[in-house]
Amino acid sequence: MNTWVRVILYLIAAPVVGCLLAGWDRRISARMQSRRGPPILQPLYDVQKLWQKQNIVVRRSQNFYIVFFLLLVVFTGALFFAGSDLLLVIFALTLAAIFFVLGAYNASSPYSFVGAERELIQMMAYEPMILLTAIGMYIATKSFSVDAIAGHPTLLVLMLPGIFLGFLYTLEIKFRKSPFDLSCSHHAHQELVRGITTEFSGRTLALIEIAHWYENVFLLGWVYLFFASSPLLGVAVSLLVFVFVILVDNVFARLKWQTAIRSAWVVAAVLGFGNILVLSLLSGKPATAALVAATKPVERVEVPIHGAPLAPNPAGVAPRRN
Amino acid sequence: MSSFSKSPWIIHYDASSCNGCDIEVLACLTPVFDVERLGVVNTGNPKHADIFLVTGAVNEQSHVVIRNIYNQMPEPKVVVAVGVCAATGGVFRECYNISGGVDSVIPVDVHVPGCAARPEAIIDGVVQALGVLEKKHADMVATAANIDQTIYLPAEAGDAPAVLALQKVAGQTEAELYGDESLPVLQQTLTELLGDMGRMLFIKAVVNSKLIGFARGEIRPDGICETAVVVHPYFRRHGIGRRLHEEIEQAFPDAHRFETFTGQRNEPGLRLLAKLGYREFKTEPFTPAIMWVHLQRERQ
Repeated sequence: MNTWVRVILYLIAAPVVGCLLAGWDRRISARMQSRRGPPILQPLYDVQKLWQKQNIVVRRSQNFYIVFFLLLVVFTGALFFAGSDLLLVIFALTLAAIFFVLGAYNASSPYSFVGAERELIQMMAYEPMILLTAIGMYIATKSFSVDAIAGHPTLLVLMLPGIFLGFLYTLEIKFRKSPFDLSCSHHAHQELVRGITTEFSGRTLALIEIAHWYENVFLLGWVYLFFASSPLLGVAVSLLVFVFVILVDNVFARLKWQTAIRSAWVVAAVLGFGNILVLSLLSGKPATAALVAATKPVERVEVPIHGAPLAPNPAGVAPRRN
Repeated sequence: MSSFSKSPWIIHYDASSCNGCDIEVLACLTPVFDVERLGVVNTGNPKHADIFLVTGAVNEQSHVVIRNIYNQMPEPKVVVAVGVCAATGGVFRECYNISGGVDSVIPVDVHVPGCAARPEAIIDGVVQALGVLEKKHADMVATAANIDQTIYLPAEAGDAPAVLALQKVAGQTEAELYGDESLPVLQQTLTELLGDMGRMLFIKAVVNSKLIGFARGEIRPDGICETAVVVHPYFRRHGIGRRLHEEIEQAFPDAHRFETFTGQRNEPGLRLLAKLGYREFKTEPFTPAIMWVHLQRERQ
């Protein structure tokens, strides 16, 4: 399929799919608690209502950050579905999350602050594993391009079982579900009021919801990438993973942030890095490439990959491919 | 049926309830009643809420919290008083610290009877509240759509309750700037306002028979006219304030100078006055937090 067709399809279909997923999420959660649950289209009704509500702000600029959060999440997904560089996708995703945090910081309310701080901690928790996922995919397919990874003939999950499990762990954090709903507590937990979204109301809150829809579709798209050589299996596993995340959400209580970050790093080190190590040993080549990739600073990951050494990048600037 | 009746988000506050009604409110969320099937979310955040469920009578400590939560909720919003204590004070009515039902602090739209109110009655109350929510939203839309058809009329004594309600809403946004509720517009009683209305000229701005702003003016023997303009927060930045100033000036053809005052942090107000040609001539402390800025302009 043409790149542009895919991007446009993503822009149109992702909110629809994301909305339905969010609806199923609430419905399945309700069934797990032996309740009836809201209609499937409930998230749509919520967003429609929020769109018509008064928008109360502490500072007008906080809405500006949220608009950028939405745009960057959409941009991240568009890059991904256009088959672009996986590293660039990760940087765009991080930047999006940073805008969300800035918006919450800007609102200067204690609840919003705690939520923003916890969101930053969650980012610290999941970033290493997300990067290791990209590196693992590179080692398996010799490319960072999503197109090339998706077109790889083998089932990636067979080469990257550890990384797949580690990625599932980060998904729990990215979906902001229990046991990692630290920054934005769902359901009846109210000691943080609403954490990071406390000070957003009306249309801005609706934009945050829509951004989450886009984000969830993008994340499930990434799960699909592990099974890309067998499309039907890929879609089935993506949906299964979504149900699994909901199950975990309903089974577990919330963890403390210390446990969250420690466990996420242990998972990244054992499952993620271990997988890369085994992979490089099995492929018969010295493990140096993998070791260099995993131990060097994040910005320099591409050094052994593209051959041409780059000057150290300032943090946060996406590296260009030559 | 719009999305408002499909997605009511509720904030629940216990004013000074015996917890009987609170347990019944929470029972509504359990599998037996499961109000989430109606789209209800029990949110802890007033800024996300549409319906304010209050249980228990209002006492000295809870009235501030009730007013605070109510003011933080975005429009349109509905208040449901659950149980007989929230309606009238109930058995606690005679207590030394009880000021009565919830409507002694904020306007209540739906009263749910019972001691304790049954979950079925609470759900029925919420469903009734949805109707009110729909109506309030329709009113808001109609008013916003007709803002260019605002009419300006002299206000009469019969308008006093609406004027009082408006100035309390409008004064709230300014009081938040200072963290001080001692602004005269917030403290004035209905009797005092009626006295003012007997003495001064009041001009009201009305859309769809709803009061959205007013101006008052009083001419002193030396030919100086003292004016004040109040506009509902929802309808500011639509030229209503400017028009009210013009109406007052036309109503006092003999005045050669106009004077007004506002708080030092009311920047939108000060900007509008500067645009209209008002110049600051003195400042005067009112409370430690509030400084009155007095402005004047000559008739051109």
